[in-house]
Amino acid sequence: MHIWEKEMSKEKLSGAEIVVEELKDEGTAVAFGIPGGVLLDLYDTLYKDDALRHILMRHEQCAAHAADGYARVSGKTGVCIATSGPGATNLVTGLANASMDSTPVVALTGQVPTSAIGTNAFQEASTFTITMPVTKHNFLVKSTKDLPKVIHNAFYVANTGRKGVVLIDLPKDVLAGIATVNLHPKETFAGYKPNIKPNQVQTKKAAEVLANAERPLILAGGGIISAEATEELRNLVELLGTGVVTTLMGKGAISELHPFCLGMAGMHGHLYANRAINECDALLALGTRFSDRLTGWLLDQFAPDATLIHVDIDAAEINKNMPVDIPIVGDVKLALSDIIKWLEKKKKLGDKSVWLQRIKEMHSACEECIHDVHRAGSSVSDSVIKEINLILDGDAIVTTEVGQCQMFAAHYYMTREPRTFISSGGLGTMGFGFPAAIGAKVAAPDKKVVDIAGDGSFLMTCQDLATCVENDIPVVVCILDNRYLGMVRQWQELFYDKEYAHTGLGLTPDFVKLAEAFGCYGERVEKPEDLKDAFNNAFESGKPSVIDVIVGKEDKVLPMIPPGGGVIGMIGTERCKHV
Amino acid sequence: MQTRIISLLVEDHPGVLTRMSGMFTMRGINIMSLTVSPCEKEGLSRMTVAIKGTESELEKVRKQISNLIEVVKVVDLMMEEPIIRDLSLLKVHVKDSKARSEVMQLAESYSAKIVDATLDTVTLELTEEPKRIDRFVDLMKHFGLKQLFRTGITAIGTGSVEEK
Repeated sequence: MHIWEKEMSKEKLSGAEIVVEELKDEGTAVAFGIPGGVLLDLYDTLYKDDALRHILMRHEQCAAHAADGYARVSGKTGVCIATSGPGATNLVTGLANASMDSTPVVALTGQVPTSAIGTNAFQEASTFTITMPVTKHNFLVKSTKDLPKVIHNAFYVANTGRKGVVLIDLPKDVLAGIATVNLHPKETFAGYKPNIKPNQVQTKKAAEVLANAERPLILAGGGIISAEATEELRNLVELLGTGVVTTLMGKGAISELHPFCLGMAGMHGHLYANRAINECDALLALGTRFSDRLTGWLLDQFAPDATLIHVDIDAAEINKNMPVDIPIVGDVKLALSDIIKWLEKKKKLGDKSVWLQRIKEMHSACEECIHDVHRAGSSVSDSVIKEINLILDGDAIVTTEVGQCQMFAAHYYMTREPRTFISSGGLGTMGFGFPAAIGAKVAAPDKKVVDIAGDGSFLMTCQDLATCVENDIPVVVCILDNRYLGMVRQWQELFYDKEYAHTGLGLTPDFVKLAEAFGCYGERVEKPEDLKDAFNNAFESGKPSVIDVIVGKEDKVLPMIPPGGGVIGMIGTERCKHV
Repeated sequence: MQTRIISLLVEDHPGVLTRMSGMFTMRGINIMSLTVSPCEKEGLSRMTVAIKGTESELEKVRKQISNLIEVVKVVDLMMEEPIIRDLSLLKVHVKDSKARSEVMQLAESYSAKIVDATLDTVTLELTEEPKRIDRFVDLMKHFGLKQLFRTGITAIGTGSVEEK
């Protein structure tokens, strides 16, 4: 392009107009936010532009969670907006949540005018410094003309490499100011070069180990879903003829109905997923960071006899929590393709038939338990999720709150497809599931969206029922109602002499009436067998709905790895079918 | 435990130092010394960071630094037989002429410069390897070290430069 052409293509725009134009250029179709004083210019511009849908939330934390849920379901970058000061500080929990689970989110925050920064002006907070540890990168924009490059790079950084959160702090005068700019720049930062291509020597070594192993196992993390590598994963599992387990974030990386899949491993994972980790002689870990909730505390029980292969896009994850034998840094989709390519070149793979037989037996035992709704030893909560698993039959997006409801759901809800099980894995944010369901429903309006909630969690963000009603976002919240902060209570029961310190929640509120007050559909369910009708009623109402399911007050999520234990020390395995 | 000196090229704009130091805090690593200064490239600064920790802690932190978007280049100077320097300024009490001449003799043997003197003090400047400065400081303590200022470590690799 000639210089004169470049000059000709420049446009004279306000900061707010530049922001909106760049958002649309990055493919943003929807933003979740709440306006405020310093954002008046931005909202004035947004309001006049029909191409970008804005959903008014009722709390900024929910705006961040909704953007997060939207991103997890669509794979696109979620966008949230909050004003300066309290708007931005309210956003922080949601940003930390998305960061921990490597979700691509771009957050826009208003800021006081540049001339007022540092004066303790009304609604001023140093959003730039506050959000540094909970973002992949952040910007404080000082000049209107910098906006095109900043916004382009915010999206580029958020949705490449290890995905994450980028925040852009926008002072009022930067949004109101006029600048003559070239829109849609393509330049990036010298210091940002995400590792994409895996090393061929390493992938070949990995293939060699997997080919020769007698009991190889694949551990699939959230990276598989983020990298859209589910097809490659299934191909490798079937080519190798071996078992696969997932992390919480990896639920959906492969169908849990697949006969080679042993489901989720870890603290509240499946007995046999953990056993397999202990017994394997080669472990291929894909897009996972070996969180403490996966490995337990006794690391000598975690794949002790195995050659450990770790694929991750973030070099900083290699050897961080778990020492590995063969590190592979790069995009997991490419790494899997390479490993498959090397394996296909081999004439013969080592015999894994005995191991595969055992994997299949373990899978069947587990599936039988899950389909047996009223199995001896089951709690009401167990039965409720088992019932929901049958009712939804994979044809829904399930989000979860955090605590017992989350672990019951992770344990008994058999995820079939990627991006259909949405949960706060790293940060463990109570109140995440409901706003995430809002984002999920906006991303996939034709899908049923169900938040499996607890009464404690739901009360933390339930005000956004108003958002659902006003914007016609009919999600279903299914509360496992035990009137306790159940997971903490469970630990108090098991490890703190049943001293239920401040975990009892009393009798309020009446969740059916709460739903009705917001104009939602509400129904109470006393017996798991009545769930099917309740779900039908909720779906047929076409309204946002709350199903309040009364469960056992002292239901426990079992089996579990007790504190200090490892993958073979699970307690509460009596209810499992043993093979 | 070992000490490692890492040299970084970083973008020169507000917030970079906060982001760097915040990252060390987040990962539980204590910074022994940190210097920031302009470098030969416009728009970039050079940071020299000395940190102490176990081999694996230091390796983890090096990778986390590389992840920062404003960090353009990371060089582990320990791999390059570095020349390490620290600049120190010492104000030493001299109670009489005997002490004064002893201080001046020692200063000479360490190649420290006398930059100021009063009736009862001598101010010295010594640019050296940090360990040699430590020894000199210990010596001066015998006379009465009133003030000590050190810039922190800066370091450069030996040999010709390989630019990527």
